[in-house]
Amino acid sequence: MMPTRFPELLRALSEAGVDFVVVGGAAAVARGSVRLTQDLDVAYRRTPDNMRKLARALSTHRPYLRGAPAGLPFVLDESTLRAGLNFTLVTDLGWIDLLGEVTGGGGYDELVQHSSEMELFGSRCRVLGLDKLIEVKRAAGRPKDLEVIAELEAIREEMERGG
Amino acid sequence: MERSSERHVDPVIEAYKKDVDRTLIRENLRRSPEERLRALMDMQRFAVELRRAGRADR
Repeated sequence: MMPTRFPELLRALSEAGVDFVVVGGAAAVARGSVRLTQDLDVAYRRTPDNMRKLARALSTHRPYLRGAPAGLPFVLDESTLRAGLNFTLVTDLGWIDLLGEVTGGGGYDELVQHSSEMELFGSRCRVLGLDKLIEVKRAAGRPKDLEVIAELEAIREEMERGG
Repeated sequence: MERSSERHVDPVIEAYKKDVDRTLIRENLRRSPEERLRALMDMQRFAVELRRAGRADR
């Protein structure tokens, strides 16, 4: 497994004009988390035009279903995205999860309202806000997220104290 | 952000919070978001190297 190349992945999406919000562990890190995460999770707008841009942005980076046996006839294009919702992919830039919907957070149109724009590696990217990150983790209801929620709440408290 | 007075306090989360290392968080909050992601990539590279070393030692 290779480290995820966040700058190149974010640049590929931004330069292609994809509407997306960074969510999950990478958003938590951008907001102050010190936890290790392996992939880039993005919520993408499910319009035909945006799905076309998204597929095109990743097509040159050999996207493939993570964990699937080699040799499956997988092609990431607009019709593949339209037929599915959430995709966990490996690319030659690292792991990326494309989320049409996030449990407890909805789709891109809902999530983008709880995001803010950040300059990351020369690209303007929308990143989910701390309150919504906490809400989404709570909604997921997974035992493994309890420590994550505790850390995110601690970050929020430190920020309120002026940290 | 939500106001603290409006927030639901979960006793389970409060218990987990006691183990959060706030010195690391404070240090991290002094960095820019991009610096935090660069630190994550360094950590990923370190994890890859540790896994490689672990396999070599088997």
